[in-house]
Amino acid sequence: MAFLEMIDIVKRYPGVLANDHVDLEVSKGEIHAVMGENGAGKSTLMAILYGLQSPDEGYIRIDWKTVFFRSPIDAIEHGIGMVHQSFKLFESLSVWENVVYGREPRRGPFIDAAASRRQVAALAERHGLPIDPMARVGSLPVGVRQRLEILKALYRQVRVLILDEPTAVLTPGEVAGLFRVLRTLAAGGCTILLVTHKLNEVMAVSDRITVLRDGRVTERLLTAQTNAAQIVRAMTGRNVLLDVASANPHPGAVRLELKRLVVGGLGRRAVNDVSFTLRGGEVLGIAGVAGNGQSELVEAIMGMRPCAGGNIVLNGHDITLRSIAQRRAAGVSYIAEDRIRTASAAAASATDNLAFGFHRRPPIAVRGLLRISEMRAWARTLIRKFEIKIASEMTPVGTLSGGNLQKIVIARELAHDAPVLIAEQPTRGVDVGAIEFIHSELMRERDRGHAILLVSAELSEILALADRILVMYEGRVIAALDRAEANESILGLYMAGGEQQAS
Amino acid sequence: MSLTTEVALTHISRRASSLLPLLSAVIVGFTVCGLIAKAVGLSPLLMLTELIKGAVQGPQLFETIARAVPLTGMALAAAIPLRAGIVNLGADGQMVLGGCAAAIIALYLPAPDIVRLLVALLIGAGIGGAYAALAAAGEILANVPLLLSTWLLSYPARGLCGWLVRSPLRDPITAWPSTHRISAGVRLANLIPGTPINQGFLLVALAAVLIVFLDRRSSVGYELRLRGLNERFARYGGVALSRQTTWLMFVSGAMAGLVGAIMILGSQFRFTDGALTAPQYTWSGVLAALLAGGEPLGTVVAAVLFAALQTGGFAMERSVEIPRVLTMVLESIIILFLSMRGAIWRRGR
Repeated sequence: MAFLEMIDIVKRYPGVLANDHVDLEVSKGEIHAVMGENGAGKSTLMAILYGLQSPDEGYIRIDWKTVFFRSPIDAIEHGIGMVHQSFKLFESLSVWENVVYGREPRRGPFIDAAASRRQVAALAERHGLPIDPMARVGSLPVGVRQRLEILKALYRQVRVLILDEPTAVLTPGEVAGLFRVLRTLAAGGCTILLVTHKLNEVMAVSDRITVLRDGRVTERLLTAQTNAAQIVRAMTGRNVLLDVASANPHPGAVRLELKRLVVGGLGRRAVNDVSFTLRGGEVLGIAGVAGNGQSELVEAIMGMRPCAGGNIVLNGHDITLRSIAQRRAAGVSYIAEDRIRTASAAAASATDNLAFGFHRRPPIAVRGLLRISEMRAWARTLIRKFEIKIASEMTPVGTLSGGNLQKIVIARELAHDAPVLIAEQPTRGVDVGAIEFIHSELMRERDRGHAILLVSAELSEILALADRILVMYEGRVIAALDRAEANESILGLYMAGGEQQAS
Repeated sequence: MSLTTEVALTHISRRASSLLPLLSAVIVGFTVCGLIAKAVGLSPLLMLTELIKGAVQGPQLFETIARAVPLTGMALAAAIPLRAGIVNLGADGQMVLGGCAAAIIALYLPAPDIVRLLVALLIGAGIGGAYAALAAAGEILANVPLLLSTWLLSYPARGLCGWLVRSPLRDPITAWPSTHRISAGVRLANLIPGTPINQGFLLVALAAVLIVFLDRRSSVGYELRLRGLNERFARYGGVALSRQTTWLMFVSGAMAGLVGAIMILGSQFRFTDGALTAPQYTWSGVLAALLAGGEPLGTVVAAVLFAALQTGGFAMERSVEIPRVLTMVLESIIILFLSMRGAIWRRGR
């Protein structure tokens, strides 16, 4: 029955066994999910299947024939296609040009544009992928670009389609659309490999699941016969509390107030007339598809981006024109979305990273001079308290996994004990175990009476943690809901810009 | 995080923590120069021994130290902003302004000698710093890149000082356009009789110790270092980047101005057009700072090494007629090899 087999795959990197005798078996026309935490080896396995890496041991069989891929060109030749997490498209070209690129229908030395357009339109039609072949890619929304990536693969006659975290950038409505497309493709005999860590999606769309942990297969499951808890156990090796029970909030005094905030952007306003209040002891969630002004909003609150209008009041002080340092001193700390580019210095030690922001006052600094032993003791305390896995406090943080680096950032920002915490995508790209830890830390902050502004593109996170929810779309807040009235489908509707009603 | 970033990071930390690359670069440099010497019929062994003798034997050691003083000073002037990832290419102009101002004050300030000397040093440093801070203001207020503004502002400064010693301040009895000679009481005193080493040595050594200490132990040095590693992170943590750039450039320019003042008050005794820039201390200093990645102690070591190579090169040319340009080739190879290593290593993985 097996159409695609990866047999006894071993891949070593310096110091890491990324794939440790992995077997993967997929039938024709199946939707097969490959799951695992970050670093479990799923990306490596897919990179081998797509010819980006060659295995140290083991081999691949397609349709009972053993194949060797030296590069993706070989893999494509054998009907394997991949939709990467970050799309590989020419934004300045049209849809049809992107699709036929490299295999253009020709007439003499020229590209036969008319035939190309016709073929692309027919292909899209046949697979139920609505798309305008003439549209310029740069103007298309993310969901449509993904459709285009799938179309590209289909044009090259894929038999096996690999999708790497395909739903990370989609609204719930777009996710549902994608799943419809995947089912149609599978029904037509295309084999689909879905790399993801999202449990509900796997449960919704896949036929079978292979779970990896530490480079090894820990479980092979039939989706119909399993449940989320069993998958998580296979991924983490232990029982994980999936929902942090959030007790009823006890909102206190207003900590942060935005009054008609406007932030400029390229061509249009990135943040357009946003107002809200945030009280102590509550979590205000900001939902929205990435790129609808959330980052700009947060950066404006922190002073990393200028405001074009409106006011920001923090703990009773108007901070609209204050510096970043003054805002932090007034009582706000910030878990930035990009922990590598913004919230840490990769080549610096954990000590240097954890002490930043505490380096101008006792006990770490006295009269402008650092006390190195205090600094290291401080770092050791935080490392222990947040259970950060690191060789020593002098190790550069760039060597850490996503979850551990995020813990460094969170440990430092929570240590400020500021009454307002801005958490921007606090669990993006971290493993399930760390997510649980981070969520419970955030809830503890809330229960201590601190105010939390939680920006997240993960609806499950917003629904699990937030007491109130705002939805941002194209720079505006288009909906304000209590958690009790919110669910995935309502939020999904707003996230797609539906029902543009004022809050 | 991808594997490549991880590899790159361990690479960076290894590079910073090990002397091995520097050593291997020096060995490769000497080997290549030896081969060149051999190819043109000179003895590589002779070259090496003459170079070392010329750098450290007998009175030559003092020559090396005397040269190391301004070179180290200029290297520190480059290293201070480089630590935070900022390049000051205008140290020439800042040094010339400092030297010129020091000469004018030493000659014309109506005050006792010792006061004149101290004020000359202070104003020399201050004016160099102020001029460098001007470039910082250009970047902050008008987005003129510092790389460009520091470098280009160097020319008007040199031009102004050149004009001053050509017309209003000119000493008519000299062949070159220069000021009058500074009287003996306003000079930096000689430290070891019979050698060119003066109190300027102490001033630069003091500055070096202070900078190394602040870099390692002060909150301010810590902020600089983190900015150099990730500027976005520094800003996110609350470092006021513009203000930091301004005072950083001031300190850098002040260091350059101080070196100018030291050279005028300690060895040249009059400001002569072009005399401060002729030995190209600024550029040797920039190279030394780059070689050490802005780390102050490493910068000092590199600067002293360059000073030794240069005096050794002069002596070698005089005694055995091996052209001094070979030592410059040596310097270049060391630096090129060090910068190249990254690429070679990455391919090896």
